Amino acid sequence: MLPFDFEYYKPETLKEAVDLYQYLDQQGKRPMFFSGGTELITLGRIDLAYTDAVIDIKDIAECKVLQVSGDHVLLGSTLTLTQIEKANLFPLLTKTASQVADHTARGKITLGGNICAQIFYREAVLPFLLADSQVLIVGSEGKQVIPINEIFLGQLRLRKGEFLVQIATESRFVRAPFISIKRRQQWDMGYPLITIAALKTHDLVRVAISGLCPFPFRSKEVEAAFNNKGLSIEERVEGALEVMPDPLLDDVEGSAEYRLFVLKNLLFDVLGALDDVRV
Amino acid sequence: MEVIGKSVIRKEALDKVTGRAKYTNDFHSVSMLTGHKVISPFGHAKIVDIDTEGAWKVPGVRAILSGNHYPLTGEAIRDRPVIAVDKVRYHGEVVALVIADSPEQAKKAGDLIKVQYELLPVVNSPTQAFQKDAPLVHEQSGEYKKEEDSDPVPGTNIANHIKIRKGNLDQGWSESETMVEASFSFAPSDHAAMETRCATAEILPDGNIIIMTSSQAPYMVKRLISDFFGEDIGKIIVHTPFVGGGYGGKAPVQLELLAYVASKEVGGKPVKIFNTREEDIITSPCHIGLDATVKLGADRTGKIRAAEIQFLWDGGAYSDKAIDVTRSGAVDCTGPYKIENVWCDSYCMYTNHPYASPYRGFSHSELTFVIERTIDLLAQKLNMDPLEIRYINAIKPGDTTPTRVRLNESNVGNLQKCIEKVRELFHWDKGAVQKIDERFVRVKGVSCSWKTSTIDTNAPSGAILTFNPDGSINLMSGLVEIGTGTKTVLAQILAERLKMNVDNIHVRMEVDTQTMPEHFKTVASRGTFMAGRAVLKAAEDVIKQLKDVASCVLRAPKEDLEVAESRVFLRDDPTIGLHFKEIGYGYKYPNGNAIGGQIIGRGNYILRHLTPLDPETGEGKPGPEWSVAAYAVEIEFDRRNLTYRVIKACSVVDAGKVLNEKAALGQVMGAMSMGIAFACRETFYFDELGRVLNPQLRTYRPLRYGENPEYLVGFVESPQLDAPYGARGIGELGLMGMPGAIGNALSIAADVSLQNLPLIPELIWKTKEASK
Repeated sequence: MLPFDFEYYKPETLKEAVDLYQYLDQQGKRPMFFSGGTELITLGRIDLAYTDAVIDIKDIAECKVLQVSGDHVLLGSTLTLTQIEKANLFPLLTKTASQVADHTARGKITLGGNICAQIFYREAVLPFLLADSQVLIVGSEGKQVIPINEIFLGQLRLRKGEFLVQIATESRFVRAPFISIKRRQQWDMGYPLITIAALKTHDLVRVAISGLCPFPFRSKEVEAAFNNKGLSIEERVEGALEVMPDPLLDDVEGSAEYRLFVLKNLLFDVLGALDDVRV
Repeated sequence: MEVIGKSVIRKEALDKVTGRAKYTNDFHSVSMLTGHKVISPFGHAKIVDIDTEGAWKVPGVRAILSGNHYPLTGEAIRDRPVIAVDKVRYHGEVVALVIADSPEQAKKAGDLIKVQYELLPVVNSPTQAFQKDAPLVHEQSGEYKKEEDSDPVPGTNIANHIKIRKGNLDQGWSESETMVEASFSFAPSDHAAMETRCATAEILPDGNIIIMTSSQAPYMVKRLISDFFGEDIGKIIVHTPFVGGGYGGKAPVQLELLAYVASKEVGGKPVKIFNTREEDIITSPCHIGLDATVKLGADRTGKIRAAEIQFLWDGGAYSDKAIDVTRSGAVDCTGPYKIENVWCDSYCMYTNHPYASPYRGFSHSELTFVIERTIDLLAQKLNMDPLEIRYINAIKPGDTTPTRVRLNESNVGNLQKCIEKVRELFHWDKGAVQKIDERFVRVKGVSCSWKTSTIDTNAPSGAILTFNPDGSINLMSGLVEIGTGTKTVLAQILAERLKMNVDNIHVRMEVDTQTMPEHFKTVASRGTFMAGRAVLKAAEDVIKQLKDVASCVLRAPKEDLEVAESRVFLRDDPTIGLHFKEIGYGYKYPNGNAIGGQIIGRGNYILRHLTPLDPETGEGKPGPEWSVAAYAVEIEFDRRNLTYRVIKACSVVDAGKVLNEKAALGQVMGAMSMGIAFACRETFYFDELGRVLNPQLRTYRPLRYGENPEYLVGFVESPQLDAPYGARGIGELGLMGMPGAIGNALSIAADVSLQNLPLIPELIWKTKEASK
């Protein structure tokens, strides 16, 4: 049971959505852009999410895009993870998204919802960080295209009234060799202890990680250490571990020390798969 | 056997698969109010102030209950306030109850209640609770009203202490060449029944108290409300529709009491108290935790000569059913092995954790893990095959239990046969360890278990049979249909006895304590045994009455009559007879005269020969029979990542007699699935304030479909002579051996002794790190 009532709007254009937000905000209704609704429902009932007005963006055409356009793959923010898996336009994303939550929930959880989620794992963003994708954002100042690595710093740095419309990814990254592994506390259900996604381009391995810190990240320092070909595999992995960002998660899913143990083996697995070196 | 053993589809199957079956929370009425609980965010804290001013301003609020001094409650020891008074003793404890017209209003008002707490030192484990200088959870435990067999030790956190003193321990050690000692610990967890608990109460102007509840013990609700609040027991009427899983968690009485005081506060209007999933996990009683130390000694042939055992049960903030669990754990403390010299101290400890209740297996699921791990340690030290050491020590007719009950062919199942069947089904002789490559290894682990049901020595069950004009029969038993299909099995028992079609027996699913004869509680795998006996007796009664009337109409002696196929007929000429429809409502002669009248069958059963335990030695007969089982699992272990999968799991249960094959398989496999989840994933994580950090299904994760291994289930049938068709209780056994078997396999695979649950990879990693 949601303990509060809210107004519900379903605009059909980007402009309408943005205007609605401003209007509702001025009325003090703490409006919320809304798509799959899983967080509002599940966190709302335990008082961790609240709004007086939701703006459902599922009917906006730009948000539903699912296509290859020239040398880009375009994915709308309101596509469900299931739709993305089925279409399989970006195999690394398919693999990573297919490990989020469970089958039932993925039928509701959307790409934008996962990336902008309050629950901080946001694993669907990892492939885009690796592929230097471009995000299309809309707000009161209109549309903007921004490299994801500039605007996603732990979370998508949206200003008030802005929302994610689409993500564009170059085809060469979509076709690049990749690996994506999710490790949980136990077996197939639950949040990640570590989710690691990696992609190889120009002979360099890129890695992005969720579950180690209370935010997903791709780190230049980690990649530099990881790709230091002058060193042994062990030294490269140790070097990468030394430059992981802070703070490390230490919670009911696993202690910080144990996560590092898990991560270390995963880094070997990534190199094993992508570095042409057996470990 | 026509019906017994057949996989008769359960009578409520269609309603359940189509979603039509109704559970307590599905019953609404326009006038029904909602009670919303305000719960403690801390494990142990003084309540300084409760400010309800803001809450009262919410429209629709009818009453706010807090700090009221209702009589203390609790089954064995009256140590629990209905709503916390002066202090809270666990995270989730109810500190206030808002009653409002709608759930939304009640929650809104509840959120506006401001409670000021002052933190108190937290007792965060039963071992800590046992220390001399531990903070006290109950300062006045010596002053509580209590049952005779419960003895809290004032000035300590001990709620009860059960002693087993059998044989001569010194002699046992002197006969032992090899000894092992190990300590074990695991935290409380949840039952995770699909239906969260719910209760409603209404007090009518004539004083009748109408309760509806998702309970395994509707007759207990009646008794306890009468005991606690001095209500006339005949005026308390309890309804229980389908219950969506109990597992022992719905045996305690809790929400019913809240609903009762709430209704009383609003002039008797109906009030519903419903648990959210989070409340169901922490506010309502949980699955008990345990800290244990086990010491075993064996002679050179591997025969166990002595056992010294200490159990510190995590009873949580209130003793309630944990007292019984503590006793039950002592009764079968050794596991299913012949041991002549046994000491056991089983303590029920107060802690600042959610209070405990039974969990499928009633202490046996927990004690089996610690015993079976120790047996494997012993086998290792003796360099014996783990299945062989169990086989040579297996309990048999002629042996005595820890409470000195002499066993015979009927009152104990055949464990050696179960072990033999596991050996065969699991290809044990092909070896326990199979190396796949440098990294992966497959390992088999085994375990055994036994169980008796320590229930009240005078626990009753009753059954009533009535006829319909078409000759079909209605069966009424106070047994609750908690998802086990037992009511269908009762129909099978009746059909078999009357040699009739089971489809012509209609089972009343909902329990109504006013019109249906009492069945003690739907717990302890006693449903089929006790209610089955009552049904058989009612069948005899019906047969006698049918023959009385038929004998008159057919002008034949009763001895010449036979009952089958819904008819009473002459044995030597079956064409001469009467259909039930001609006599079930009395027989009418062609001229209009009638004889006989409605046939109403009645039957009852009361357990026999049970005695309480001697307080100094534990001697006594706690239960009617001991069921046994043997288990094996195979895991695939990754030596680098320290992760694993359970590939295969096997249970062989001595069922006495399988009454419904598919239902029995379902019970055993379902229990194994729960056992795997308990062994490998389910636990509460506590912080230093005693807060449960994972009271949600997001972070508390039972086994999901697809994570299960391949299940192998086998049955041995050594009949229990006084049970319906020889059947023994089987609902719990599948669970009990899983933690031990998986723990044993993993300990071999990882080459460390794992002595905690759940067996998550991090535990293996930590244990290995600590042993470096």
